[in-house]
Amino acid sequence: MYTLGIDVGSASSKAVILKDGKDIVAAEVVQIGTGSTGPQRALEKVIETSGLKKEDISYTVATGYGRFAFKDADKQVSEISCHAKGIYFLVPTARTIIDIGGQDAKAIRLDNNGGIKQFFMNDKCAAGTGRFLEVMARVLETTLDKMAELDEQATDTAPISSTCTVFAESEVISQLSNGESRNNIIKGVHLSVASRACGLAYRGGLEKDVVMTGGVAQNAGVVRAVAGVLKTDVIVAPNPQTTGALGAALFAYEAAQKN
Amino acid sequence: MSKVETILSQLKDIAANPKKAMDDFKAETGKGAVGIMPIYSPEEMVHAAGYLPMGIWGAQGKTISKARTYLPAFACSIMQQVMELQCEGAYDDLAAVVFSVPCDTLKCLSQKWKGTSPVIVFTHPQNRGLEAANQFLVTEYELVKKQLEAYLDVKITNAALERSIAIYNENRAVMREFVKVAADYPQVIDAVSRHAVFKARQFMLKEKHTALVKELIEEVKAMPVQPWDGKKVVVTGILLEPNELLDIFNEFKLAIVDDDLAQESRQIRVDVLDGEEGPLYRMAKAWQQMYGCSVATDTKKGRGKMLINKTIQTGADAVIVAMMKFCDPEEWDYPVMYREFEEKGIKNLMIEVDQEVSSFEQVKTRLQSFVEML
Ligand code: SF4
Repeated sequence: MYTLGIDVGSASSKAVILKDGKDIVAAEVVQIGTGSTGPQRALEKVIETSGLKKEDISYTVATGYGRFAFKDADKQVSEISCHAKGIYFLVPTARTIIDIGGQDAKAIRLDNNGGIKQFFMNDKCAAGTGRFLEVMARVLETTLDKMAELDEQATDTAPISSTCTVFAESEVISQLSNGESRNNIIKGVHLSVASRACGLAYRGGLEKDVVMTGGVAQNAGVVRAVAGVLKTDVIVAPNPQTTGALGAALFAYEAAQKN
Repeated sequence: MSKVETILSQLKDIAANPKKAMDDFKAETGKGAVGIMPIYSPEEMVHAAGYLPMGIWGAQGKTISKARTYLPAFACSIMQQVMELQCEGAYDDLAAVVFSVPCDTLKCLSQKWKGTSPVIVFTHPQNRGLEAANQFLVTEYELVKKQLEAYLDVKITNAALERSIAIYNENRAVMREFVKVAADYPQVIDAVSRHAVFKARQFMLKEKHTALVKELIEEVKAMPVQPWDGKKVVVTGILLEPNELLDIFNEFKLAIVDDDLAQESRQIRVDVLDGEEGPLYRMAKAWQQMYGCSVATDTKKGRGKMLINKTIQTGADAVIVAMMKFCDPEEWDYPVMYREFEEKGIKNLMIEVDQEVSSFEQVKTRLQSFVEML
């Protein structure tokens, strides 16, 4: 049996096809999210990669910010539950999940059976999210994929506050005009994102293993900063952008079996 | 339309159109209305004067701009709205505004009222255990009474006050009964309806409200109790609005089986007791009996325990904390309650209430995740 999970995020669309609730047949990411052609394209791409036909899919679960806008799903499940499900499937020792996506950050505490004990989300603010990094990358005249590498070359951390994207942006500009090195500023930006996310993780009571997921987990600079703030090892989920879609496909499998 | 639907729609109308409720009252009685600021006021006095007490609890979805001149961005969301509305003259039809100042934001706001109605400010004593606190509050109430009498040009007699106290006590008792009925019949009284019954209370004479709610209770209780296939929650905070937010509770089948909202059950928690003393003294004493509220000092911090008990007694699955954005008294209470919930294994969720927002996607995700987790 094939099931599909689609995660319609604010900045990207992700889709995963699962066979019999255990084998990932295909996973695709399209870097454009809800309200665009992204979800449909992710769906078409994942079907194409899998070599299957649409009719082969027994059940579809949508998750993510645009889950209710995606009309081809049998059911909608929240991204918190889907990330938890996906991560527990990939890393059964996970007890704290830090998920940093395009427009929000979340910390999820799992119990020993993968159930959600508690979760926290950031409040309506781009600080500490992928969007924050995008804004900073633009000011710093670099791209998201280069930021981790530049961070590695930093000799120091330039302090950047973590409360507000707009203030942080002007801080970055004044740091630049004071002659601070770009790499040090990038390291500061990563620390700022990490502090925000770790603030959420602390609220739920930190327990190991700590797993990072979401698009921002692909940035090794942020991962290092999180590990530094939490003073613990951090596991990066395999294919961190698609763990939500994977969770959705797992829920789809469970639902299909009940049907 | 069934009787229940008729009563609910009547109360929903009043809750949604306070201005109309006030104008109708004026047309009917020839008297005016007096604004009542949150959280606790000796409303009975206004009632005894023959005026309509009107609750002032902000509004939803207004973009804050004029209020920025007077309030910092980190003042609570509800008072931002109140300030904005003041600047627009929304409260200028009121004959007076009674203003208690149990938190810093209210203290500041009371000193810079921008409307044209006269404002009557009084203080609640926070050292609540002392007899001197009662004496102090009596003096404050005497001042409120004197000013009301002057502004409204009415004499508030003890006999009228006693009558109003009895009417208020009855309304509170009926509302406590309503809370239980709503818990038993979530299919009939959903989250939106439940809130409307409470909200209409702020814009009606209490005797009229009591009569309607009594009828409602009777009608509902005549129906068979059906099993509830959703989840049950106890909610706490300053208020839980607007209807778009409560619609999400309905959508995910979250029945509100009890509440500790300042706008709702905290208003009906304690009565003015009978006794030998005069009405003002007994009204002052009610403040000492108040418990479980972030603006009524409680050195033992009993609110968490109270909520845990409510959860157990009602068989609720969880507590939802509706945190008024930037309300410091509520934010100070939260970590203490949170720890107690976690220690007792009470599932809980905090959602933010921001009266300025008009999009509820994020809170929808939180509530959906929470329901999936329960
Ligand atoms: S108690 Fe909270 S919500 Fe009410 S006025 Fe004070 S700060 Fe604002």
